[in-house]
Amino acid sequence: MTFASVTAPDDSTLIVKTKTPQANMPYVSVAPNTTPIVPQHIWESKVKDLKNFRNTDFPVVGYGPWKLVGYKPDQYTTLEVNKDYFEGRAKADRLILEYFKDDDATIAALRSGQISAAWNLPATGYKTLQGLKDLMPYQQIATRWTGVEINPGAKSRTGKPLGTGNPILADPKLRLAMAYAIDRETLVKKVLNGLGTPGVGYVPPAYKQWAWTPASADAITFDLAKANSILDAAGYPKQGAYRVDPKTHKQLAFRLGTHSDDANDQQIAPYLVGWFKSIGIKLTLQPQSMSGLNDNLAKGDWDLLMDGWSTPADPTYLLSIQTCATLPKDDGSGGNTDAFFCDPQYDKLFAEQTQAFDVKQRAAIISQMQDILYKANCDIMFYNNNILWAVRTDKVANFRTGEPDADGSYPIQNLFISWKNATPVGGNSSSNAGLWIGIGIGIVVIVAAGGFFALRRRSTAAERE
Amino acid sequence: MTDALAAELAADPGAAASAPRWYRSSFWPYLAAKLLGAAISFLVMLVIGFTIFNVMPSDPVATLTRQHPTSPSQMAALRKQLGVDLPVWHRFVNFVGHTLTGNLGDSWQYHQSVGSLITERLWPTVLLIGSATVISVVLGLWLGIRSGWRHGSFFDRASSGVSLVLWSVPTFWLGLILLVIFTTGVGPIPTNLFPAGLMSTPGYSGPWIAHVGDTIHHLILPCLTLVLVIFAQYVTIMRSSIIDELGAPYLLTARAKGLRDDDVRRKHAVPNALLPSVTVIFLQLGTVLAGTITVETVYSWPGLGFLTFQALQIPDLPLLEGTFVVLSGAVIVMNLLADMLYRVLDPRVRAQ
Repeated sequence: MTFASVTAPDDSTLIVKTKTPQANMPYVSVAPNTTPIVPQHIWESKVKDLKNFRNTDFPVVGYGPWKLVGYKPDQYTTLEVNKDYFEGRAKADRLILEYFKDDDATIAALRSGQISAAWNLPATGYKTLQGLKDLMPYQQIATRWTGVEINPGAKSRTGKPLGTGNPILADPKLRLAMAYAIDRETLVKKVLNGLGTPGVGYVPPAYKQWAWTPASADAITFDLAKANSILDAAGYPKQGAYRVDPKTHKQLAFRLGTHSDDANDQQIAPYLVGWFKSIGIKLTLQPQSMSGLNDNLAKGDWDLLMDGWSTPADPTYLLSIQTCATLPKDDGSGGNTDAFFCDPQYDKLFAEQTQAFDVKQRAAIISQMQDILYKANCDIMFYNNNILWAVRTDKVANFRTGEPDADGSYPIQNLFISWKNATPVGGNSSSNAGLWIGIGIGIVVIVAAGGFFALRRRSTAAERE
Repeated sequence: MTDALAAELAADPGAAASAPRWYRSSFWPYLAAKLLGAAISFLVMLVIGFTIFNVMPSDPVATLTRQHPTSPSQMAALRKQLGVDLPVWHRFVNFVGHTLTGNLGDSWQYHQSVGSLITERLWPTVLLIGSATVISVVLGLWLGIRSGWRHGSFFDRASSGVSLVLWSVPTFWLGLILLVIFTTGVGPIPTNLFPAGLMSTPGYSGPWIAHVGDTIHHLILPCLTLVLVIFAQYVTIMRSSIIDELGAPYLLTARAKGLRDDDVRRKHAVPNALLPSVTVIFLQLGTVLAGTITVETVYSWPGLGFLTFQALQIPDLPLLEGTFVVLSGAVIVMNLLADMLYRVLDPRVRAQ
């Protein structure tokens, strides 16, 4: 953000002047992913050296209906009500966030009543909560997409080719055929247990203001026959089970990088291998750690990679990683690109939307950008997975969810808006420490448990010998 | 004095007078040699650790800034701030210097000193591993001795069978089954008998003894899971050691002296059979510090294993190197202790 000046002429006014027009300014202070505005009288007594202030002493300097007053590493965070919150005092005296490292443990804690609510639940565990007494599982519309990115020919900012990506993927017809060979409905049904929507636009569906769908003539559906005919017409003849490049006579064989610690990636990959095989394209799986995958991505050492992004309501950053400015330098450093996509028209629209203050006008520009990305097929969307919540109705009352849409999905809620009016029910209120609510947070982590187990077993076998 | 030494002394009467002098005179050189060996191991371990973490193909800055709006110039500044752009030799000198002065640096993802991150999680880890190891050792050795002494009996077959089945069970699977049974309740087992995770109840107030009780309440399931999986190795080692001793002539001598069967086992067979188990116990103590990540994950226990896993994901090099130093150091220290204890337990080591 390029701030020129920040002034506060009175207690309830803040004026931020930016060096260039910034249409996303209204989102700057929308929690939870952005910068809260904290008045000087709140922080000045605690902050001596603003530049080096780490904000690690309790209660930390912050903004909101609760104050962060305690933290036990890897266990829980304690929030105490901020009696002076300008929008009114929250109903619960304390909120406690408990950190669960395992999804099944989170579900068990919900079922036993150890916690009153949890989110980011796994699809399988969510299904087991449906129909249980005193439990209200519900879905919030996705703020995230999962898809696959295809290397269109990794290049530096000056156009110097980078990495070991297969050059044939620069052919848009080949990428279009791949897009036709993905059955998004099946992925939603099998991988998400139906708890999501097939992916279409680049901006996730939680934010209705940026909603976009392709023109019916452009819409890509699952159609293996069409994918095959596109490849036939593009001149990729079949030799045996797979097609070949007519110039080099090499098989159409590509690497597919997956996140080795992501269970969904492991479920999606075999489907993709099968569908692509039926259009004559061979995929070889390359499971990698997240850091290894990012490293290969930056260097351009990849063909296809599983990809996923979530975004707050302002999609500026999500859109920015598709601009030419994020390509790396000639030595491969300094880049921040998602898929080495670079299109001057897209860049022009990106610059325009940063200055479009009318939301409808900005949405129209962002729609054009999504259209360009959709047709480029460098990022092919699989699905948007809903955020799965569950609340114990015997422990919490007046929890705010908003109204569900026609599909039964609830709008995305800022966390503290959901909780601000919530009151503890029953057992919790008898605690001598005041009213409190325990919430479970599943830390998104899938431990390669089998791997660790095997390692341990091997080492002990060696010791035994 | 054990039977092995007695046998040696009987064979060489002259050794009887020299053994105590040997023991006294050679202890300090022995300790010095072992300490030197441990120090060399530690230094080699530092080189290996540094090499592994620094040849890992990864860009920590890209991972740290993923999902955060970051311009290329901000990323370059971050690289400089974290020292990722320094030459390898420079980073190695920093690493060794920091480690030897006890300053492990600051974690990149936590913005907190590595020393404090490790200290916060060391006590929970030691509590879990310590309690599980003590229980496993006592249970495993007891079962192993009984099974070996009467090998082939029903008791032997039952205890060996059960322990080997549990040894083969994946830890995370057993942990999840126990967790689901004892938290959500099944059949006569009530709901909420044990908590589904963490090490203490948030917002719990009461005297210190109540806090101890609360921690034990949280400890039972993870500890039980670990015990069930690891006690088998003590059973099998102790059992086979006892069986090895069964045919030894000194047992025949002991019986011939008219000792009761229990005394023959307890006073003669067990001390000799204990030696292989001591090695395993200490090696295990050193390695399980890192090996409990599955139990820590299932029960959301705030331990070192999970911290290492989180460090590896970025990779958060200062934290990774810090946990590596502590975990590998633990193995070296435990080996050193085992070497020392061997001298006490086994006169043959003293005589060498």
